[in-house]
Amino acid sequence: MKISFAKKHFIGIASVVTMLLIWKIMAIYFDSSIIVPHPEDTLITVIKLMSNAGFLKIASATIIRGLVGFIISAILGIAIGILAGINTEFNTFISPILVTIRSIPVIALILLALIWFNSGTVPIFIAMLTMFPFICTNVVEGIRSVDQDLIEMARFYRISKQKIIFEVYIPAIIPFIISGTSSAMGIGWRAIIIGEVLSQPRYGIGTSMQSAQIFLNVEAVIAWTLIAVMISSVFEKIIRWCEVKMVTWK
Amino acid sequence: MGLEIKNLNKSYDGINLFRDFNLSFPEETITCILGPSGCGKTTLLNIIGKITVPDSCEFQGFDNKLFSYIFQEARLLPWKSVQGNIEFVMRSDLSASERHEQASRFIKIVNLEGFAGYYPSRLSGGMRQRVSIARAFACHSDIILMDEPLKGLDLALKQNMIRWFSEIWKADRRTVIFVTHDVDEALLFGKEIVVLSKLPAQIVAHEKIEIPAENRQLEDPFFKKLKQKLVKALDA
Repeated sequence: MKISFAKKHFIGIASVVTMLLIWKIMAIYFDSSIIVPHPEDTLITVIKLMSNAGFLKIASATIIRGLVGFIISAILGIAIGILAGINTEFNTFISPILVTIRSIPVIALILLALIWFNSGTVPIFIAMLTMFPFICTNVVEGIRSVDQDLIEMARFYRISKQKIIFEVYIPAIIPFIISGTSSAMGIGWRAIIIGEVLSQPRYGIGTSMQSAQIFLNVEAVIAWTLIAVMISSVFEKIIRWCEVKMVTWK
Repeated sequence: MGLEIKNLNKSYDGINLFRDFNLSFPEETITCILGPSGCGKTTLLNIIGKITVPDSCEFQGFDNKLFSYIFQEARLLPWKSVQGNIEFVMRSDLSASERHEQASRFIKIVNLEGFAGYYPSRLSGGMRQRVSIARAFACHSDIILMDEPLKGLDLALKQNMIRWFSEIWKADRRTVIFVTHDVDEALLFGKEIVVLSKLPAQIVAHEKIEIPAENRQLEDPFFKKLKQKLVKALDA
């Protein structure tokens, strides 16, 4: 059943209001800003943090780590995904590796990365390892879903292999890359922040959350969490915008 | 010089599809191969198009011939517009403006002017098949192979499709080999009609129709009589 844009908007707002209401009830019930601060106080903290001179440095450090991790995973994921999609033997070879990477607990990766890398590189490494399998698997699925009748048509019409790759395979997998990017980014931001919490680079949202937690500043911990959610939403919106611009034919 | 296949032999999974089969196709003519389902029509088309390798066969007049195809389904790239789908199969040595101009010409002939920028998802089944016809003609080829492209369309739409096809064909007389199991399609479309038997396929009837496709009326006594003859040959 389709719901109108206005109704969808209204339901969305109702959902946020419900969350705020539950939060407010909990804050009143516990009556302690160390356990559950009031939403309005937390909002003020968010504004204060965002207007702080060091905010841009902190947020941009996390965003840059996320983007670097994403770019590396996208390049690797797309290249390996295309290879695995067109070559069954390579897919058989790479599948157990992807399953293993996906199954390793993030914390285990972080603990190892803490030994291997410096504090700024740990979150990038973690982001890369968590995002790469999503992008790669989606690209493989995309290649596999390419309509073989279209490939046959292109071959009947003597279209070159290069043209088939660029004008048939790549446009066909773009929706899968976008979907993989969306899932990867969702998981990736969380992994980066966990990585920052544990590796404590000089700047980073995770570093700031950890510092706030040490001083039992729950308001600031939640405020930084909200900022991280906002950053993640902005990137999700950017991905959706790219989808609208790039997949105009659906 | 005509096109000829001689002593075609092809078996598949132990089933003899063709045994010492011979057939000739006049050039610049629409030859319609009519046969019951499963008689090897599509295999024959694929053998002619060098997609399926026969066990043995002698081809005459097919050297260096290039083929275009019109499939049962339109097989258009969903991410390319009507114009883009037609340009996709055109010779790469043509300039962008030449490709655009030629594609536009074929779009106009199949009466899809105004839809050049549309994606296939916004077109009806009949419109998509018209794009596929325009694409086959826009591709640099000598022979057009058609595999039941009108299957599933109602009679009125079939007649319209044949009218559009005739329009485009008159402007560019290429050899067309068309397979179908539908007698009406063969009567509306073929200049030569070859009827194949059940397996192993043999020619059981060969008819010629001189009336132009756009003037054919299946209610005419001539077509009624011919239809009876073809149906009898098919059932034999």
